[in-house]
Amino acid sequence: MIRIDSLHYRYRATSQPALDGVSLDIGRGGILGLLGPNGAGKTTLISLLAGLLAPQEGGIAVDGEPLEAWRAAHPTAIALVPQDYAFYPMLTVAENLDFFAGAQGIPRRQRRDNCAAAIAFACLEAVAGQRVGELSGGLRRRLNLAIGLTGAPEVLLLDEPTVGIDPQSRHFLLNAVERFAAAGGTVLYTSHYMEEVEAVCADVAIIDHGKVLTAGPLVEVKRGGAPALNLEIARPLPDLAADWQARFPEMTAVGNTVDFPEFPADALAPLLAELAAAGVAVERMRYGAPNLEEVFMQLTHHALRD
Amino acid sequence: MPGNPPLRALPRLAALWKKELLAFARDRHGLAALFIMPLVFILVMSLALAGTGDFSGGRHATIAYAVLDLDETPLSRAFGAQLSPGGLLVKRAAPPDETDARRQVEAGKIAFAVVIPQGFAREIGANRTPSLRLLLDPAVPGALRDGFRQRVEAAAMQVGFAYLLERLETDMMIPGLPQIAGNAAPPNMTLEAVGGDNGKTIALPSAVQQSVPAWLIFSMFFVVVPISAVFIGERQHGTLQRLAAQRVPFSLVLAGKFLPFVLVNQAQAVVMVMAGCWLVPLCGGEALVLPHNAAALAALWLVSLAVSVAAVGWALFIASLARSSEQATVLGGVGNILMGAAGGIMVPRFVMPAAMQPWTRLSPMDWALDGFHRVMLRHGGIADVLPAVLALAGFGLAALVVTVCLHHRART
Repeated sequence: MIRIDSLHYRYRATSQPALDGVSLDIGRGGILGLLGPNGAGKTTLISLLAGLLAPQEGGIAVDGEPLEAWRAAHPTAIALVPQDYAFYPMLTVAENLDFFAGAQGIPRRQRRDNCAAAIAFACLEAVAGQRVGELSGGLRRRLNLAIGLTGAPEVLLLDEPTVGIDPQSRHFLLNAVERFAAAGGTVLYTSHYMEEVEAVCADVAIIDHGKVLTAGPLVEVKRGGAPALNLEIARPLPDLAADWQARFPEMTAVGNTVDFPEFPADALAPLLAELAAAGVAVERMRYGAPNLEEVFMQLTHHALRD
Repeated sequence: MPGNPPLRALPRLAALWKKELLAFARDRHGLAALFIMPLVFILVMSLALAGTGDFSGGRHATIAYAVLDLDETPLSRAFGAQLSPGGLLVKRAAPPDETDARRQVEAGKIAFAVVIPQGFAREIGANRTPSLRLLLDPAVPGALRDGFRQRVEAAAMQVGFAYLLERLETDMMIPGLPQIAGNAAPPNMTLEAVGGDNGKTIALPSAVQQSVPAWLIFSMFFVVVPISAVFIGERQHGTLQRLAAQRVPFSLVLAGKFLPFVLVNQAQAVVMVMAGCWLVPLCGGEALVLPHNAAALAALWLVSLAVSVAAVGWALFIASLARSSEQATVLGGVGNILMGAAGGIMVPRFVMPAAMQPWTRLSPMDWALDGFHRVMLRHGGIADVLPAVLALAGFGLAALVVTVCLHHRART
């Protein structure tokens, strides 16, 4: 449905491009997880898809049509759900929905139907008449999503939609995203919570420094990563851990847990022998295909970005 | 999900207007900032000014003075009597000595003490210019100081003149000469304010009438505070970004704020004018008097509407430039104060140095003041206020255009 082709974008007064030849395909009815460290270019890509920025090179096409022309014909078909609570706390839930629907130029009757559908979708019936400033974080997140649905969009751009909420609300939102996609909607989902992305996204793309590092079905992306080793040992081993750190710089040790994001198969037996020689029992071990977080860390390396 | 509705500007604008008015009506701090504070401001300023109108027949402030006669001669006593109270001046009992006179001035009990030194009469008798000393409170404004000094000099000259005529009567034996001195008294003067069509005589304005328009304009321009708060909040919470992603043009967002805030600004002006007309007199101040005929009232409304257009346009410009509430307060607040200082709000233009006076024309507050004065003081009509109205409306609309241009430039 959406084809992003060799997209370049550079902000004024910066020497490095925010996007440097990004190409991606997002199929209709799919959920693409967009991952990347802070400053990788995710927000720029979302801004371009939302029409907040205009491409400098390359292009975005929807159903074969340039994005701008497609949006002119389908003005409310792409909705952005920002990370911030982008609504008015002094208005009620219903007033907020009505306002954002009205601002999109939706006629009164259709507006009423759309708002009712959005309230029902996000289970906000009980608080529809309540001022938003009085709502909990979870309800606000649900309202943030519901506002995105007032235009009956075909594409949802979700920018970290579950930040700062309890597990129940997170579960509800993830389920809502899946329901939206199951009904034929297309979702671009950005998050720093890898387990969320693994739970809802069939496809993922990892970007860094404005380039796509990997993209494709989640299973294939994980398969493409180097094998990882996770150990839980009976007691911490400060001396041995220091030696391992020198040999495997990407290793992390927290308490009794030791993680090796990339670990060659031929090093496994010697490592276990070292533990046995030190008299340390292995309580749990996992070796093999990495999870998404391990792939992410392998591809983006471990250095802090902020 | 339903299909795509056609985009129509008016319903979108109506949604923006409704939201803005709802949000404003529920913003207690914004309401206080726009209505209660200016109301208190107008009340306080009007009451403070109630004593300064010296030709309206209203309540007057008093300036106290005393005369210390160290000469104690008939001539010095005549001079003391000549320096009679009147207008703002109230004569206090003569201090016993100069030390006491100085203490009273220093304590602020009297503004002036006129000291008639020993030898005053002797100097007049010897045809020499008599010496006098004027002790004064340094807080007394220069204009008042000069006015009192002229009054003292005139009284001294009158006493000298009367003495001369008395001597001529005695020496030259011409009876009735001293009565001529009476003819040298100041004439009875009638003050006539000229304004309206063909320079008619109109009612003399009170100090409140002269000053309230300036404070009204100043308060109306402070609409920058709530507008900035709303705008910056929307930017920080991502609401503006969401509206942009919903393809709501920035110019429509501005238009969505413009009309509601012009209405709010107009309501603010009405409340302040009503306070000037009814609340201030209830509190003991002089009432603001509105024009009586429909054309003048229409002209007054036109000026106030133009001030609202200029103030809201300016406020939206500042709000779009500022990145935080602190920046908006500095840019808007200091900008307003500078505009007020340059525009004759704080210091009337006619008392500014000649070199500075043309520069006041650069301030929209000066245009606004000119418009209000043409109606409120000179009793002018619509034609008289049109230049000010057009300049103010042009300023407001130009500020909006610049705001839109800056926004588009920032996006690309």
